[in-house]
Amino acid sequence: MRIKTTREKRILYFKTTLRWIIYYLIIFSSFIVMTSGSWKKPVLLVPVALCIAINNDIMASAYTGAFCGLLIDVACGRLVGYNAVLLTVFCVASTLIFELYLRRKFVNFIVIAAAAAFLQCWLDYKFFYEIWGFADVERIFRNTTLKVWGYTVISSVFIYILFKIINNWLMPKEHLTIEEVIRTNQGA
Amino acid sequence: MGEFLKSTRFKVLLAFLAFLVGIMIYSVTKGGYSLSGVSFINTITKPFRYISNSISMKIEKNADSINNADAYYEENQELKKQIGELNKKLTNYDDLVAEVEELRKLVVIKEEHPDNIFSQPAEVMGYIANDPFKGFTIDRGYADDIEPYSPVITPEGIVGIVIDVSQHSSTVRTLLSPDLSIAAICSSTNTDFGIIEGTVITAENGMTKLTHLDKNHQIKKGDLMITSGSSGLFPKDHAIGTVTKTGIEANGLSAYAEIEPCADISRLRSVFVITDFDGKNDSTKEDTDEDKDNS
Repeated sequence: MRIKTTREKRILYFKTTLRWIIYYLIIFSSFIVMTSGSWKKPVLLVPVALCIAINNDIMASAYTGAFCGLLIDVACGRLVGYNAVLLTVFCVASTLIFELYLRRKFVNFIVIAAAAAFLQCWLDYKFFYEIWGFADVERIFRNTTLKVWGYTVISSVFIYILFKIINNWLMPKEHLTIEEVIRTNQGA
Repeated sequence: MGEFLKSTRFKVLLAFLAFLVGIMIYSVTKGGYSLSGVSFINTITKPFRYISNSISMKIEKNADSINNADAYYEENQELKKQIGELNKKLTNYDDLVAEVEELRKLVVIKEEHPDNIFSQPAEVMGYIANDPFKGFTIDRGYADDIEPYSPVITPEGIVGIVIDVSQHSSTVRTLLSPDLSIAAICSSTNTDFGIIEGTVITAENGMTKLTHLDKNHQIKKGDLMITSGSSGLFPKDHAIGTVTKTGIEANGLSAYAEIEPCADISRLRSVFVITDFDGKNDSTKEDTDEDKDNS
């Protein structure tokens, strides 16, 4: 591993701080969008949490998952902590899957995001509607749960692109290109 | 994977998950009051949610007018006829008069129900995300003397009930929800009564349902249903909605009626919370007294 210069360390520190500030601004914006208007909306915080999780270490993704889950609980009027537990598990599992088995490809992310969003929506339907035995409750699954899941999967595409841009710009790179080495040396 | 399961990180994660489950269990025991963390999030995000919600409502209104242009055109023609007739009798109505009228309605409600104590007007901060029963959050909480299970109304009629109270915000369950039952009586016949309770199907059209109605009822389309006040949860004689359709239940034992709420629940801007009224919790107290006597 190449030893980093003080200037490189400062840049790395600045970029990491900026990256996390942008992450949390996106989380905050997603929460605001989820609590606006009366139409059905995607659960944006699920793909956002997963996008953060697949690019960071386990502990960071666990804390971010818990935070996003708490915000979903507030936005959806659910038992506080319920979605926090779910998203913590999803985020940790995603981090492990991408570390051990999958490459960070668009298709892989969409599959994982779709599976996680489906689980979240399905469990929400099970625990907050079906379990109470309302008449014609399956209509909620057809008309609300599946639609919300569909919107969430579609929104995952845009969220992935947004995070890809942020990470390309601010994520520390493991290998430097020749141009970057020359530029760094010229700067030093 | 095996290494990870044996690592300290995994143990820390398990401890963190246990902590979250603890929060979940603790929030269950709060009995209608939110955790202070939720209050904090609601307070911090309140101004942003106001702005974002007002933008969303405007976008939805415009999109709705484009999507339903034909229906609105027909309705518009019908309304034009009515306006023509009304214009012969009424003149000089403007926005200010309409606003005064709204306030007058509230004054009338207060005069009609002197025992009711109302909160300050509460703004609707936003609807609960993806709730098929249109639950919403208001900007008043226990700092404004609002308690769980306080009735929520507009000048048009009953809207729902407060189910979760934070310091400066509360969550409202609407009368479209199957989780809310209101004892109701027909204002014109004064003999036909039943339980107003939302269903999944009626909620899709912004309606609710009157159940447990006697098969020999006298209710007809257009009749107004009001609260009977027998449950101790809602004060007496508040408008709930008008009858749009009646029928016999599938079991053949009782009748039902579809009710259109007096207030447009999907387009609420501000509401009032009734913090106290005569007969509040009477039914609950009676039940408790009976339980004591029995024991």
